[in-house]
Amino acid sequence: MDMHARLQDYTQSSLDRVIPNESELTCGSLIVPGRSYGFFTDTTVCIGCKACEVACKEWNNLPADNIGLTGQSYDNTGALSANTWRHVNFIEKTGDVGPGGLGSGFEAEGRGGGCGGGCGGSGGKNSSGEGGVRDNNQQAFQSGWLMMSDVCKHCHNPPCMEACPTGALFKTEFDTVVVQQDICNGCGYCVPACPFGVVDVSLIDGKVHKCTLCYDRLKGGLEPACAKACPTDSIMFGEVDDLVARARARVAKLHELGVESAYLYGAPDEPGATGGLEYLNAFFLLTDRPEIYNLPVAPTRASRRVLPGLLSGFAAIAGLAAAAALLLGASSAPARAAR
Amino acid sequence: MPTMTGMVTIVQETRFQLTDERGVSHLFLLGHHSMAEPDQLVPLQHAQARVRVRYIQPRNIIGMVAKSIEVDD
Amino acid sequence: MSITYKAPKLGAEDPAETPRDATERAMPHPDGWTGATYYGRQQLKPAPFEASVVGGYIFLAGVSGGAMIISALADALRPAAARTTVRNARYLSLLAPVIGSPLLIWDLHSPQRFYNMMRIAKARSPMSIGTWILTAFTGLAGASVAGEALAALRPGWRSWLLPLARVAHVPAAVAGAGLGTYTATLLSATSTPFWAAAPRTLATRFAASTTASGASALALLEPDRALRRRLEAISALSLAVEFGAGLIADRTYERTGVAAARDSPHGRLERIGVTGFGITLPLGLQLAGLFTDRRTTRQLGAAAAIGTLVGSCLLRISTIGIGGVSARRPDISFRFSQAENLPDKKQGAAIAEKMRALLKAKNKR
Repeated sequence: MDMHARLQDYTQSSLDRVIPNESELTCGSLIVPGRSYGFFTDTTVCIGCKACEVACKEWNNLPADNIGLTGQSYDNTGALSANTWRHVNFIEKTGDVGPGGLGSGFEAEGRGGGCGGGCGGSGGKNSSGEGGVRDNNQQAFQSGWLMMSDVCKHCHNPPCMEACPTGALFKTEFDTVVVQQDICNGCGYCVPACPFGVVDVSLIDGKVHKCTLCYDRLKGGLEPACAKACPTDSIMFGEVDDLVARARARVAKLHELGVESAYLYGAPDEPGATGGLEYLNAFFLLTDRPEIYNLPVAPTRASRRVLPGLLSGFAAIAGLAAAAALLLGASSAPARAAR
Repeated sequence: MPTMTGMVTIVQETRFQLTDERGVSHLFLLGHHSMAEPDQLVPLQHAQARVRVRYIQPRNIIGMVAKSIEVDD
Repeated sequence: MSITYKAPKLGAEDPAETPRDATERAMPHPDGWTGATYYGRQQLKPAPFEASVVGGYIFLAGVSGGAMIISALADALRPAAARTTVRNARYLSLLAPVIGSPLLIWDLHSPQRFYNMMRIAKARSPMSIGTWILTAFTGLAGASVAGEALAALRPGWRSWLLPLARVAHVPAAVAGAGLGTYTATLLSATSTPFWAAAPRTLATRFAASTTASGASALALLEPDRALRRRLEAISALSLAVEFGAGLIADRTYERTGVAAARDSPHGRLERIGVTGFGITLPLGLQLAGLFTDRRTTRQLGAAAAIGTLVGSCLLRISTIGIGGVSARRPDISFRFSQAENLPDKKQGAAIAEKMRALLKAKNKR
């Protein structure tokens, strides 16, 4: 791996000062206001270490929550929330069994197939056909393990920001979406607006919280904490155009290696970037159906429904008002005309 | 209501870290009706002010919810 | 020196999301997405709205707006007979600002900052649009009701106060049209499947419910028999439109799979409280009223009006509740977010084709 020339200047193990433009050394991209930044999360190299979750909580001073075990593989975090801005999904696919098996993501085309991903459901039987027996039919090379570090997608056309009635949610100079805590009044309208279930209201302080893509770090020339902590570079930070090019090359490479189910989620013209969202600044490389990773195939931009809704409402009111005018203006009481 | 005195060492949004006399750091979240706004926390951090925080322990979260913050002089 | 850390109390602050039944076998709804999900966990977050509080506001906004629209028409078409109706409507218009607005503020998670809504106006945010519609309505209807109330206190000033109130009444009715309908868009311009599935028919249903509730409230307070019958007819017509729009909506809900969310307490509330008690019963009572004597007709009409008002309120509450169910259940939200449900059919076909190609690639392995 080629290293940045400037690394020669910082050879000592402990530094007494902050490295200027550190991101150039740690992820190879300079952070300049006015450019678009995002994450590319390559799930094929994620090892599920949760370093990103810890780094996020450490840097952003977020409390640990939902103490306890979920019983859902190694995922004891559960979901993205007001206190959790990175969440590692763990999907244990038990063998490439038929419909209903956990490996049946793509097989479950449309509405058919079973309910995998550990939810049991209509299928959920292992290859021995008996419930309760541990499945030994694992895919080779642990390829039945899917792990994915989920995060706010920092949509190009963010529905949460468009929905916000106070302007607390805004686009930063780095093309990321951030909540201004001194303005948010906790109306919670951004929560149902988000097509990915990311934004969450904290019941402790009554404000909305979500990933800021480490806005404060970007301003200081540092790459986001999660990307810096990721030991396998599953989380890559950089300029969006650059990341998309790298991601497309990675998909081609994986197809060449035989992982033909690899595809991008959230890059332009790919699943996840539908319905007017155009593209997501934080996008992913997945190898199974998006639903298995708890992602929607075709999310939509909520604000596209504003105009049709308002116009239909006004048209209905206008029509009913016209009918009411006819009823009120008629010379005799219409309903009792017969009597 | 328990209180804790210490120095505000980290501020992030509505959350702050209080380092007590023994050098132990505690994570606080600014509660609903704490009569303090998040943008009042940053000056406290810059001033390394000693503050007295009245707090409660919420359920299911490793952290404390600050109910009032007074600058100790 | 010993440092003691207090162990946090266990137990969810918000109830932890768990699979849907005790045996951890979460059965997907047969009309929903039956493919793999992530442990049956919810994919979306439901709106943190209190269904009865926000639903109550939408209802009050509908009554206030609807009453102002219908009274403005009555005032224009038969000014002499409509005097009581106009006065009643002006007092009813206070419901939205006086009770509705506090309900909205109460539902904020940081109510002390409610005024931040007023620092910005956004055409893409129905909540921002609604804030300004409510503000405009409050000002205009407030002016109109102030003129009315002052004229009642100082009969000598009637000659110039009432025309002044009338000047404010017409634009207040226009704002009332917005107030009674924007709330449907407030719900449908989200990612909550049940709300987002049918933005046009939801707006039509809410609009019809607005005129039905406004006309019913006025009819309930109307002493003049001829005008009351006309108001009741407006209410009946609106209910018929609401019912028809509901039938069209049902087909969309079934096609997109969100109808499964009606398999819930709020779904039953909608079926019994709205369709049964709020539409069928009032229409039946009004029909029965055509064949009875005057006194019974009046009583039946009053019962129909009350049924309409209750049904109008329940329509809003149940819609919010069913929306919450549809957001919480991954089988419903994933079924709705399939490529086939995209409004842009070309894009939907392209994405569906992409997913099929990946399936082929996977099966080849």
